Amino acid sequence: MNQAQTPAYNPALSGNPQSATGRVYPNGNPVSPLNPAEAKNTDSCVPLHHTGEVVHNYQCDGPAPGTIGFRWIYGSVIAARNKDPRVQVMQYNEDTYILRENICVHWEGPFTYLLFGNRGALLIDTGAISKAEWYPLRKTVEDIVARWAKMRGKSKVPLTVVMTSGEDIAQNMGLAQFAGRPDTVLAPKSLPEIKAFYKLSASWPAGTGKIDLGDRVIDVLPTPGTHKDGVSFYDPYCDFLFTGDFLYPGKIQIGNDKDFVASLERLKQWKDAHPVKWVMGGHIEMQFVPAKAYPRFYTYKPYERVLQMEPDLIDEALKYAKEVVGQEVVLIRPDFHLLNRVSPDQKTLVFPEGVANINAPRPF
Amino acid sequence: MAPAAKAMMGTRAEFPAESAPVAYAGPVDFSKSLPAAGTFPKRWICGSESAMDNTDPAVQVHWYNEHTAVLRQNKCYSYEAPFMMLYFGNERMLMIDQGFNSLRSDWPLRDVVDDCINTWAKKHGRKAEELELLLAFSHLHADHYAAQNEFVDRPNTRIMGLTHEEMVGFWGMTNYPEERVVLDLGGREIWIWGSPGHVMSEFAYYDTYTQILYTGDMFYRGRCYISFWQPWFDSMTRLMHFLDKYPVTHVVGCHVEMGSKGEDYPYGVTWQPEEAPWQLTVAELRHAYEVAKTITKPGIYFTGGVYLCNQTRGTTTIDKNPYAYESS
Repeated sequence: MNQAQTPAYNPALSGNPQSATGRVYPNGNPVSPLNPAEAKNTDSCVPLHHTGEVVHNYQCDGPAPGTIGFRWIYGSVIAARNKDPRVQVMQYNEDTYILRENICVHWEGPFTYLLFGNRGALLIDTGAISKAEWYPLRKTVEDIVARWAKMRGKSKVPLTVVMTSGEDIAQNMGLAQFAGRPDTVLAPKSLPEIKAFYKLSASWPAGTGKIDLGDRVIDVLPTPGTHKDGVSFYDPYCDFLFTGDFLYPGKIQIGNDKDFVASLERLKQWKDAHPVKWVMGGHIEMQFVPAKAYPRFYTYKPYERVLQMEPDLIDEALKYAKEVVGQEVVLIRPDFHLLNRVSPDQKTLVFPEGVANINAPRPF
Repeated sequence: MAPAAKAMMGTRAEFPAESAPVAYAGPVDFSKSLPAAGTFPKRWICGSESAMDNTDPAVQVHWYNEHTAVLRQNKCYSYEAPFMMLYFGNERMLMIDQGFNSLRSDWPLRDVVDDCINTWAKKHGRKAEELELLLAFSHLHADHYAAQNEFVDRPNTRIMGLTHEEMVGFWGMTNYPEERVVLDLGGREIWIWGSPGHVMSEFAYYDTYTQILYTGDMFYRGRCYISFWQPWFDSMTRLMHFLDKYPVTHVVGCHVEMGSKGEDYPYGVTWQPEEAPWQLTVAELRHAYEVAKTITKPGIYFTGGVYLCNQTRGTTTIDKNPYAYESS
């Protein structure tokens, strides 16, 4: 008997939960090349013994392959009884790690990024708690660095610790844990020192700085607006923009609206001139229902939006940032809120037109 | 009690010392030497900087006096940290409010309340199962009734329903909010009347024994979110008339959201290191009324004792963005 003709594969009907992630062919598209150009032999684990340091090739045509393959932990109904890891770590790819502080340790749940190059590592942001017993950031980073160093045959990995804002206590508290660590450079916390650190004293905020990790050179883009000392980082390997709380899926508290617009203009220019896969912010406050955000201080957020933002959101943020200049206002968009010159708890009755207005159920 | 629940209750230091059952010596006389004296704790348990590192009891139990218990939910179990009242009479107990978690496995309010009742019964030569428990709440918000279902299978217990009609019906009111109902717990009277304004369905409770006036979320040490100004102002006027006629020792509400220097603890925090006292004085209530008389517009007004949030919508605070700056 002839085999019936197979209808075209419809991922929406596949029943595979991965189909909901946006990967159209979760188990591989049969018409795609089986040896895509992006696939790179990095530090092959095939040889039993390496003969020396592995040198990784950070040149790629597109974004380095990688994925956020798991769900972020999201606190618990009873914060006092939370038993989740204090620092959640995901390997985005072998040279890129995303760390998140447990929201039952600190409600901000800040994200911290750890990037490796051939001659060093970079930690972007340090979390909201300095006490290592509650938030063992340094220990976690050192464990990842040690594992990576072994894998790459390195005897030492110099570490640089920087922040998307030196003044932001949701991102600078963990810095203290690294004080006195050998082979470690810590970014300063005051604005004049920050400018000098990135060699931007003369060109702030229009200039850009560089942090060379060894064949992976991170660009430093001043982005004042939510903080007067705000800085974003661009990674040309993963094609990520790390924006801290300047642009993130949450309630963006504008500190100075003119600076905010000007920085978004520069970020847009950067995005138009460089490939950007995702904008990676410092927190998540939005829910996965559009335009709804969690209030501050929540320790249980089961309906969190994903962390990563598409680069087009820079254009959207710029468009609406221009609208709020000079106003005391909360402006709601599906993926972020803009709060200008109002209390962080300010509410609005204005809901964007054409956006589904869905209230997630109370989570208990 | 489940062992896990027992462990979660933590230290029992707040309970009166356990002792052997006492023989019944007749009913308690709740009519003598009024107002019955009582105490407040120096400091309520108030959360922790890292919520998951909190090791305090899930419910703090404070005996104001031997016939009156005040319960408070741990701030790291719910940021609302509501206060709950448990009044004992010779025939029954009245519990006002049931906190902000609904599962006994998460937050064993039922076990804590049973423990309080057993303690009281033992001390007064009574059988706990003979005493009826009335579960009521101040108003129709989930942080005041969420745990009521932990009690649905408890014997000798009556539970107020979750509609305005059932609430008013529970107290047999036909003229809400003016009508004042007398609830007899067996020698101890609780007076109950309507107190709308925060929401339309809310009661004020006055205990004739301690002479404590309980004003729910309509008036408490924090941000009184006034959804409906005129009904709220009328409820305040009703309270003023009550104060003119009857003695009141303390005015208490459902939350504390302020520090001892009047600072506002924003909505949702799980750590309030320097809390102001829970109880308010009659003078503070009267002063708030004087302030209220001058309020003509929506906004947040500080009376010195409480914040009056006139139609600002729930969860708003006076917080500012600490990182705002002027262009250089």
